[in-house]
Amino acid sequence: MKIYWTTINGKSLGMYFLLGVLAILAAAGLYATYAMFSQGHYITGMNNQIPWGLPIVVAIYCIGLSAGSLVLSALSAVFGQKEFKPFARIAVFVAALFLVGSLLSIVLDWGRPDRVMLPFLYLNPRSIFSWNGFLYSSYIFICIVYLWAMFTGRDGWIKPMGILAVCWAVGVHSGTGAIFGFINARELYYSPLASPTFVVAALSSGTALMILIIVSTFKATGRFLDNRLITGLAKLLGSFIMVVLYFVIVEYIVRLYTPSTCEPTRFVLFGGNLYTYIFWVGLILLGSIVPAIILFNPITKNSIPWISFASLLVVIGVFCERLIFVLPGQIFPLNLFPDMEMTSSFMDGQITWYQVSLPEIAQGLGILSIVAILYVIGLKLFALLPTEARHLEHEL
Amino acid sequence: MKRRDFLKLGGIVAAASAVTPASSLLYAGKTTTSAIKYGLVIDLTKCDGCGECATACRIANNVATSPDNEKINNYWLRIARVKSKFPNSHEQAIPLMCMHCDNAPCVHVCPVKASFVRKDGIVMIDKHRCIGCRYCMIACPYKARSFVFKHNEGFSNPDVPKTMHGVVEKCDFCVTRIDSGRMPVCVESCKKGVMSFGNLFDPESQVSRLISSGKVHRVREDLHLGAKVYYLGL
Repeated sequence: MKIYWTTINGKSLGMYFLLGVLAILAAAGLYATYAMFSQGHYITGMNNQIPWGLPIVVAIYCIGLSAGSLVLSALSAVFGQKEFKPFARIAVFVAALFLVGSLLSIVLDWGRPDRVMLPFLYLNPRSIFSWNGFLYSSYIFICIVYLWAMFTGRDGWIKPMGILAVCWAVGVHSGTGAIFGFINARELYYSPLASPTFVVAALSSGTALMILIIVSTFKATGRFLDNRLITGLAKLLGSFIMVVLYFVIVEYIVRLYTPSTCEPTRFVLFGGNLYTYIFWVGLILLGSIVPAIILFNPITKNSIPWISFASLLVVIGVFCERLIFVLPGQIFPLNLFPDMEMTSSFMDGQITWYQVSLPEIAQGLGILSIVAILYVIGLKLFALLPTEARHLEHEL
Repeated sequence: MKRRDFLKLGGIVAAASAVTPASSLLYAGKTTTSAIKYGLVIDLTKCDGCGECATACRIANNVATSPDNEKINNYWLRIARVKSKFPNSHEQAIPLMCMHCDNAPCVHVCPVKASFVRKDGIVMIDKHRCIGCRYCMIACPYKARSFVFKHNEGFSNPDVPKTMHGVVEKCDFCVTRIDSGRMPVCVESCKKGVMSFGNLFDPESQVSRLISSGKVHRVREDLHLGAKVYYLGL
């Protein structure tokens, strides 16, 4: 079956309304960013105890969505799942956009974003950030070449580019996990499992987000979407959720078992604080168990509304996983003198809560809005969507 | 040359320029040798935690200060109070600052090499190169680093750089004083002679003699960072 690719019309009232709302959110985000630099970063919830707050969570979350959606496009090109070809272009495009979003979030989180070119001038071979600067920028480049190959019909290029893009996506996400996993100083960061966990969480959240994007975009633009394609993706999503859950369980059990990491782990899992609820309710219950029940239950697993709901839960659940990864490792104090009690005027030995501030929330929403605006404009300018997405089975 | 060939060539050049920087990631930085390696020995048996070194440090180094908001009040040197978890245990005052590690995690993680180890072992920050990503603050196990959250107008010492909003700062062993032949201000300001500063490579120096007594320890030696701040009586 030949797939015909078209742009969207993009002249409906709803479209202008959507773009208007997104533009307001983006403007608010940019203003919040401006306020951080003109007044100082003290207006954020970050402080010397918690130097990384919501912007880093948003950044690594966007990278996850990016790497995950790219793998979706490779399903048809690399793994021979030809029925997913109608989603190939949009998946690569979304992957590139979320990488732009994550780079925006990282750079605007710096104290000096005006020095954005310095990481490319002074590479530090031992710095994971240096590696990531290289991986992320080349990843966007690979996505663009991959899209170009698809648009110009260079079928010989598609498979090699797809393989390269999948390898790069794994590298990008391992690199993101390594930002935390290589930090020996912090008990809740240091872990060889950090990189693999980030990769599988990326697959899970990326697939879930692509289901939401595809279902909503096809519905909004009145395109036919074969239910079997979505249920096929939902099957994948169900297994990704299980793998993430397994990795999380292994990681936390090892940490609970080890005396040196037991105390901070108990603080997260059984401390009765906000992060305890984020872990048990956000990640385990709503982010993993409920969607797994929906996706494996024979009554709900073929229903598009149920699958969309499960995908939404997974998208939120993986965000909770990112929060749990980034924040408690800083909130729980550094252990300078093991087994001793320590106090000082610099908040040593005390738990310092992170209170997320309005500018950070506005900035995060603004960056996601910029990604959404670029998505809509991209659909308008480039023929990313097929006229219809049919399952190939009866054709073959 | 046809247009298509020209575009192909352009693509190859672009791809090559994206890949070339990666090659420089493959070999590690070179190590340098020097006849001087500075270190500090802090005799905790003499320290009563009066905090004069911390005050002197704040004034001498233009440390970013926010008295109204302790969460963004920066510290280059702080006095920690440590005791065991058992009742009636003795509380020990311990001055903490940058430990100037040989294998400094902050230097390892810095994406722009703004943090670096000078030939004489002092870990320093190039404030004009720092991008303010704060990865070093995440990586430092001693919490030695502070981010300047706010533009500070006043500065107490014109001989050292002003604080700069958006970059990270920390103890540099008062490098401008050392380079003009003076002692770090914490060493000089302590009236009880708690701190000794000197060249670890010089067997006659006070620090070498104290370290060779075998009674010194460093904070979190288990991390193998090669810290150069030693404590007597830790």
